[in-house]
Amino acid sequence: MIVFLQSLISGILIGGVYALIGIGLTIIFGVMRVINFAHGDIMMVGMYLTYILFTVAGIDPFVSIVITIPLMFLFGAVLQKVFINRIIGTLPQNQILLTIGLGLIMSNTMMLIFTSDYKILSTSYSSSSITLAGISISQPLFISFVITVAITAVLYWFLMKTDTGQAIRATAQDREAAQLMGINVKWMSILAFGIGSFLAGTAGALISPTYYIFPQIGSTFTLKAFVITVLGGMGSIIGATLGGVIIGVAESLGAVYISSGWKDVVVFVLFLLVLLFKPAGLMGKSRM
Amino acid sequence: MTIPNLLSSRRGASPASLIILVAVTAMLFVFPAFMKSPYALHIMILFFLSTIMGESWNIIGGYTGQYSVGHAAYFGAGAYTTMILLQYKQIPPWYGFIAGIVVAAVVALVIGAICFRLRGPYFVLASIAVAEVLRLCALNLKDITNGAEGILVTEIPPLKLGGVVITDFLSKVPFYYMGLSWALITILVTWIVQNSKLGYFIQAIREDQDAAHSLGISLSLYKNAALLISAALTSIAGSFYAIYIGFVDPPTVLSLDISVQIVLICIIGGIGTIWGPVVGSLVLVPLSEILRSNLIGETIFKAGFVTESSGMGVFLKEHLAHSHALIYGILVVVVILFMPDGVLGFVKKLMAKKKQ
Repeated sequence: MIVFLQSLISGILIGGVYALIGIGLTIIFGVMRVINFAHGDIMMVGMYLTYILFTVAGIDPFVSIVITIPLMFLFGAVLQKVFINRIIGTLPQNQILLTIGLGLIMSNTMMLIFTSDYKILSTSYSSSSITLAGISISQPLFISFVITVAITAVLYWFLMKTDTGQAIRATAQDREAAQLMGINVKWMSILAFGIGSFLAGTAGALISPTYYIFPQIGSTFTLKAFVITVLGGMGSIIGATLGGVIIGVAESLGAVYISSGWKDVVVFVLFLLVLLFKPAGLMGKSRM
Repeated sequence: MTIPNLLSSRRGASPASLIILVAVTAMLFVFPAFMKSPYALHIMILFFLSTIMGESWNIIGGYTGQYSVGHAAYFGAGAYTTMILLQYKQIPPWYGFIAGIVVAAVVALVIGAICFRLRGPYFVLASIAVAEVLRLCALNLKDITNGAEGILVTEIPPLKLGGVVITDFLSKVPFYYMGLSWALITILVTWIVQNSKLGYFIQAIREDQDAAHSLGISLSLYKNAALLISAALTSIAGSFYAIYIGFVDPPTVLSLDISVQIVLICIIGGIGTIWGPVVGSLVLVPLSEILRSNLIGETIFKAGFVTESSGMGVFLKEHLAHSHALIYGILVVVVILFMPDGVLGFVKKLMAKKKQ
């Protein structure tokens, strides 16, 4: 029972970070109908940014997100303005390949700069844990979960209550109608891609104390982000949050009860089952 | 004069282009007699391999419009089947090729049953997921696949072809002819498919699935037929790669990179055309070889932009050889943004403009 609870809780904690990645992807898809295959690579850029800030300036990874967030937002906005903007509404395969290409450029640029060695960002609390009622919780995972919850809450508030947030949601619901209502959809697209990439970058920053950092880590997370968003329903933020937690738990339980080698298979099989039996996802009907 | 003919003939080749085709093929057949350098042969073999991969993807991606980004599944199925049979059961790879095709066909039927219910981005994602499941299986089923260590082949048994027995697999010549023959066969198959009823049906499906369906074209039947052909040819490419290199492991034959690379060959050349993948291979293979052999770095040093011993020089020397994937990425972005129909389409457009 303890083992079950233990893995359930660590699954939920890591699921929170997955949710951040998934929400980013889903916002981008919702607003632009572009599937961002570079999403994991954007996350990887966030990881390296955190790593540089930690090794060069000695800033704690959980503090440095204050710097990472605006930088990653800017990075995403520029990517959108320069590349993605040109392919909105074109053939879906071209969108897919363009983002794959951008991902390749990001991961290989990082490889040129940092080589493909695994980097470890070890803080004083990297391996420490809190024990609560017999269940030990990894401290960095716990902190990152708290930050994730805070960011998600602010994001919900932003999208639901502010005018800009509502404009983004309107663009996601119907791009042309939103344009007719006087919403600057181009600006909304830039904003959405910026938000999406800062969420991915932040997720990267948050997991950097617990994961190895290397240039090719992106594709694994891109795939995970797809699984999460499809599971929750493309374009649904609540769905992506839920999807992230489900995938985190499935992975964690799979690793304990099957084997750590097969845990990703569990995730993909879950993904294919959802695609087959409920292609719209768990929250497919409700848009954002 | 003649090249535009070759490029513009859509149905039935013009006489001039046929002559060129025959001449080029004949030249390719006598090439090893004049070129003894193993490196040149190696590059030609890579070119053939890349052509086989591109043409086979083209049938499902270019003609049917189903953008599978999971073709590593069939490539890996062919490669692993051939290697497992060869190394553990001592079955010659020539039967392994056939066994590989059977395995790939089974995989294709399973993938088809799962993925063809889905459209657009969902199809792409599902195809990636299935290929990833296969990669993870190869990684974890250590009893069959030797896991992450991969399979290294020690000896290739002799091949009897009619009265000729080929034993010398250390030289590249047998592989050259094998690759050339398979490449020609794949191009021929693509041509047959393009001009058959199946070809018209799948192109109709590509243009408008629902309209095709309403005209009585069975979507699942023809999509699966196209996928089967594509998978069989990709599996041949995989088997060929496996015995040529003599080693397989999950990252080299089953990773997402392989799937992406297969798609790139077509996209860069020109999608849904017979010669597109050939052009794509002509661009990509030399490019990645140049980058791998560090020719660019040496040129920069010789031209005197940077001295070899300076900090920048050392940096370039160390890293440029690993940068081929970066150039791939840049190439894709440039092609998608500026030549959405691929290099072949771009050349055609330029020529059409000149004519005007």
